[in-house]
Amino acid sequence: MLEAQGIRKTYGGVVALGGVDFSVRPGTVHALLGENGAGKSTLIKVLVGALPPDSGVLRLDGRELRVRTTADAVDSGIAVVSQELSLFPDLDVLANLFPMREPRRGGLVARRRMAEKARPVLDELGLHVDLDQSVEELALEQRQLLEIARALCTDPRVLVLDEPTSALHEDATTQLHQVIRRLAARDVAIVYVSHHLEDVLDVCDTVTIMRDGLVAVPAVPAHTLSVDRIVQHMLGDRVAAEMEARSHIDSDAVDPGAPALRFEDVTLGDELRGVDLVVPAGRVVGLAGVDGAGHRALLSVAAGVVRPDRGRVVLPDGRSLRHSIRGAIEQGVAIISGDRKRFGVMLDKSVWDNVAQVSTVGLRRDGLLVRAGRLRDRAQLQVASLGIKTPSVDQEVGMLSGGNQQKVVFAKWFESDPSVLLLDDPTRGIDVGAKAEIYKLLQEQSRRGAVQLVASSDPRELAAICDEVAVFHEGRICARLSGAHLNAHTVLEVMNTGVPPAIDPPER
Amino acid sequence: MLAATIALVLLIGAFHPRFLEAGQLASILNNAAYIGILACGLAFLLAMRELDLSVGSVYALTALACAMLVQEGVNPWLAAALAIVVGGLLGLVNALLIQYAGLPSIVATLATLAMYRGLTLALSEGTQVLGPPLESSFAQVVSAQFLGIPVPGWTLIVVASVLTVVLRATPFGYRVRSIGSNPDAAAFSGIPVGKVRMQAFVLTGVLGGLAGVLTIGYLGAADPNTGTGYELQAIAAAVIGGTSLAGGRATIVGAALGAILLGVVGSGLAYFSVPINWNQFALGAVILGAVSLDSFVRRRRRQSRAAGGLRL
Repeated sequence: MLEAQGIRKTYGGVVALGGVDFSVRPGTVHALLGENGAGKSTLIKVLVGALPPDSGVLRLDGRELRVRTTADAVDSGIAVVSQELSLFPDLDVLANLFPMREPRRGGLVARRRMAEKARPVLDELGLHVDLDQSVEELALEQRQLLEIARALCTDPRVLVLDEPTSALHEDATTQLHQVIRRLAARDVAIVYVSHHLEDVLDVCDTVTIMRDGLVAVPAVPAHTLSVDRIVQHMLGDRVAAEMEARSHIDSDAVDPGAPALRFEDVTLGDELRGVDLVVPAGRVVGLAGVDGAGHRALLSVAAGVVRPDRGRVVLPDGRSLRHSIRGAIEQGVAIISGDRKRFGVMLDKSVWDNVAQVSTVGLRRDGLLVRAGRLRDRAQLQVASLGIKTPSVDQEVGMLSGGNQQKVVFAKWFESDPSVLLLDDPTRGIDVGAKAEIYKLLQEQSRRGAVQLVASSDPRELAAICDEVAVFHEGRICARLSGAHLNAHTVLEVMNTGVPPAIDPPER
Repeated sequence: MLAATIALVLLIGAFHPRFLEAGQLASILNNAAYIGILACGLAFLLAMRELDLSVGSVYALTALACAMLVQEGVNPWLAAALAIVVGGLLGLVNALLIQYAGLPSIVATLATLAMYRGLTLALSEGTQVLGPPLESSFAQVVSAQFLGIPVPGWTLIVVASVLTVVLRATPFGYRVRSIGSNPDAAAFSGIPVGKVRMQAFVLTGVLGGLAGVLTIGYLGAADPNTGTGYELQAIAAAVIGGTSLAGGRATIVGAALGAILLGVVGSGLAYFSVPINWNQFALGAVILGAVSLDSFVRRRRRQSRAAGGLRL
């Protein structure tokens, strides 16, 4: 078993881990929970050799373990699937599965041996991709599964999964959980970190909860806990952040002449087959579906990323959407992705530089001379109104926590005063508290009269924040759920079956 | 950067006082001006993760173009203006190749490096072409001195100042750095990435033309082999100055100073009677030293900042 004892780690005076004991036994799935900043990421980095602790010892089967690099950890049988996707996008699937550990034959990489080893692992995870496909072409969900496959290819004795399901849909999550249970049955020790508490209770045997760099609840059996209790333990004395459902509006009470974002007969290859959808100003409409069902394709069309083969998109001001990213943004569309590191922020630039990126830099609204002083003042206002936790607007965004980085993304879009917000998994990898704050921001945008379209891989999120959810199945909207039908359970069911709930016939 | 340049000048001066004479320093500044102007353009490109290897060839081709126009009887001032336009067009060709043929900039400009140079050799038939006569007002102005500094040196100072404002205080400058920092996020913030790239390449071409026109005015003749290898010196100058090859960060003044520093080292070596054949080696060593020092300082700074801003 893997055991950590008295692990301490400080960063320039800030205590990240204040003497933590943690152990995971073979054959168990052990959840490690806590809010962002509670210390779980640091603990994991220590466990897998990515970060040397200031003090404390690691033991594997009672022998002291000296891991200095992640390669040492892999040699000792510890594998990690990290939250930050760390694949090589230019390489193919097979090359990504065996980085630096390619089976060799006479000094050359033996691709056939690699393939023989890789196929069963991929099949078990339900990842059906060509081995020579470039990783760049894979969907986010497939990339996440590939990352898990890579860890499994090392035949680990200890497997650390940091947010393994953040990009996975329900069926992929279920399949992953089955794989995890099988691994546990083979006596692998598994550490499971997730913000999806229901996932945790579904697959884990044991739960450890961290708070403020210390263990708040050490290794209790999972069946003694509920989501509510876990959240209480995570937050401690702090008020539990509420993910309360907003009052759902009756979708019939829409004035047909009111400004709205309209999709008319939007068709795009096999992905979208004649989609009609009207989203009135001030509404939040969710887009749900399994991978490839078309909900994300609709978002790409609205963002101007792809031009539909047929049909058109009409913006709230009555103009037709120009089908380019820049065109859409000029027309008042905001594109907010959960993949903030790629699409959202400039990590090496200051908060104010980022906040100015759309309005001042992209749209050139401030004319031909940019005055940094003014931009910093404006960023200061956004920081205050969005509650971004940063020492100053000059701080590099890469130094902020994930939740605060995402708020910077919101800030830069709010600066441009958009009339349509397209949100793609807007709270991916963010802790409960920051999520609740972002939901509040979205509600304010509704009051302002903005149209919001949200795609999310978490049906609970959709049920909590949307007035209505359009469920996609094979390129069509198969059901529109609102009111009493709008709950995570129904969304999930319809997503997977394509059959609308009995009393609510499809509105196509 | 400025401090390092001055320190080096003083150091050389301490051993060889003649080095500090105004005429000598002015001549260094003058010689560094051409590469300095090219380096200013490259700083923009590097800041957006692009590269133009053809600047040395553009420099030679525009100088030749100016000389040939003068030979045809065109007024030297007009010829100079047209040659600068030619520079912009050559930059546009680079941009179009990158934009529409989808070539990486290093590949496209590697090709045009050879093609523009080849065109220069072919058009000049391999020999020098005389430019504006020394008594023409154009040649008089270019070789004039003002406060002891020749006009090419002043041009570098003006170009560097104007472009610093462009980089630091115009949407174009912000766009360039945004694209270099995170190209996807830039596109998804409404920044027209292709257009900005095209503008930056045209700017670099125009600067190449400007440098070419200055050299023809100053020297009076266009040598088809002039500016060979300038692309690498200009890149070195920009990098020594503190522009990051990874994109997102640039300093124009740094690029100009980098060119001057290279010039100082080059002529300083002569004073220490280093055999001329060791010059290249010494220049390489200086580049390596300057860049390593910069990277070391930056790493230290990042570490101390990381300690302040805890991220989990």
